[in-house]
Amino acid sequence: MGGLELLHEPRWNPLSRFGLTHSFFNIDYQTVMQTWIVLLALVLLLIPIYIILKRKPGIVHFMITSFVNYFVNLCNQSIGRFIFKHFAFVTSLFIFILMCNLISIIPGLEEPTKNINTTLAFGLVSFLYINYYSIKTHGAWEYIKEYFRPIPVMFPLNVVGKIANILSISFRLFGNIFGGVIIGQIWFNAIGGSIIFETVGILTGINLIITGFFGLFEGLLQAFVFMMLTVTYLAIEIQTEQSQQSEETT
Amino acid sequence: MIEIVELLHFVTIAMVTAASSVAVGIGEGFVGLSAIQAINIQPEAKDDIQKTAILGMALVETAAILCVTISFIILFGTAQESMNIYFSLSELGIALGLSLSGFAIGLVSAMPARAACLAMARQPFFSNKIVRFMLIAQAMIQTPVIFSFIIAIFIKGYATSAANITDSLKLIASGLAIGLGSIGPAIGLGIFGKTACNSIGMNRKSYGKIFTFTLISEGIIETPIIFAFLVSFLIILYPAPTLLIAIAMLAAAFCVGLGTFGPGIGLGRIAASACHQIAKDPEKYSMLSKVSILAQSIASTAAIYALIVAMLLITFTK
Repeated sequence: MGGLELLHEPRWNPLSRFGLTHSFFNIDYQTVMQTWIVLLALVLLLIPIYIILKRKPGIVHFMITSFVNYFVNLCNQSIGRFIFKHFAFVTSLFIFILMCNLISIIPGLEEPTKNINTTLAFGLVSFLYINYYSIKTHGAWEYIKEYFRPIPVMFPLNVVGKIANILSISFRLFGNIFGGVIIGQIWFNAIGGSIIFETVGILTGINLIITGFFGLFEGLLQAFVFMMLTVTYLAIEIQTEQSQQSEETT
Repeated sequence: MIEIVELLHFVTIAMVTAASSVAVGIGEGFVGLSAIQAINIQPEAKDDIQKTAILGMALVETAAILCVTISFIILFGTAQESMNIYFSLSELGIALGLSLSGFAIGLVSAMPARAACLAMARQPFFSNKIVRFMLIAQAMIQTPVIFSFIIAIFIKGYATSAANITDSLKLIASGLAIGLGSIGPAIGLGIFGKTACNSIGMNRKSYGKIFTFTLISEGIIETPIIFAFLVSFLIILYPAPTLLIAIAMLAAAFCVGLGTFGPGIGLGRIAASACHQIAKDPEKYSMLSKVSILAQSIASTAAIYALIVAMLLITFTK
């Protein structure tokens, strides 16, 4: 079936001559290539934006600044104060995941996020960023002590709880995108090969509904959810007693 | 023998469609009821309420459409000569997984649509944003069905190579895990979505805050479903050479399925009460959301225990 074929991607095994044939050393070269195409598309998108922002204000200028302002407000609301580093991290994470989810509207390309390795990498990046800033604000000793609360016996469960966070955040993105890809593939396999069915699919708009809902809408929604969860966990981890007090007074 | 094979095969096809259709029918009926009540309260907003009710029903129907797709795939995609008793037994996994989650989601995804119709009767000039909010709340509730759909496709793929009773038990276990595991969180998602739509009807100035809070909370409420999905995935991919391991996998499926039931409902109730308070007092948003997320992370610990035990059962049974 369609689902099974999607899991077995063509793989390149560069270290096989040294006896390292474990699947850990394999490279899914198609996914890597698609991710690079997404990066290329982002750069191509950023060059005209840079040129437009240099010129005098117009409609597109206003659209770009209001898009950025929306995320500035979102970060302010969640973290409590404006920190440029965190704003830049979560916004670029959002735009990158969004582009990864939407790249399939270009014919011949597929979403890199339908591979579990890509979403796991996103989850790890957000986890490492959050924990780095947690250590930076509280200090290493406080950070380690956090694992032994409320009683020291809870240590393994706290560790598993942290790892479950990575798994849940990455599997949420993977499952939704992968499900959309399978549904789209089943539909286009079912109508493919018959001119009558394909015409009916285009004219009634079912093709449009399937790509629109499962591809574009779910992609946008899941990218936004990923970003919101990251910024919320970050806000919880980096809050100190001082910042809490200043928040209450303002 | 051939009769039992055929019977199980057709029962699977019928059960998947029937369970989801019953639930979706009931849900859509309630959406229609709420739409009529809302029009009674606010007859001027008739067009907007009608539009909302139709959009809501269309999204409720997603569960039934996915289930029907699977039914068609099983009905037309199965070669007659490849059918044997183990194949049909494995298909019961699809029946359990998709019918349980389709039933739960069909009933539950109607709740935000009902609340949205009534909220529109209260705030008729705010209809565009209420519709947008309802669409997002309902689209996120569909996640369990999409997960069950993926698992069903995998079971269908592996069922043709099932050669003995252990393989069949393994595939049944994986369907059971996602099916049972999506009931509790689905109820939680429904409770939360209903309260969120109600809250916008109460206080439309809190729209922006409730919007971000909904995305975060529905994401967290879905966490137990993702654990169940993970366990089903593990069960499918892990080899089961002996009968004992297959039985342990069945136990793991029950463990994660029943273990996520309580946390799912609890998470939904925590988020729902926080959402209600945000609508009453939007100024306290940052404090309320932090408290709610901390409480949710404590409540989901129970689901993590279930996940650990299920994983240990799968990997450590000899």
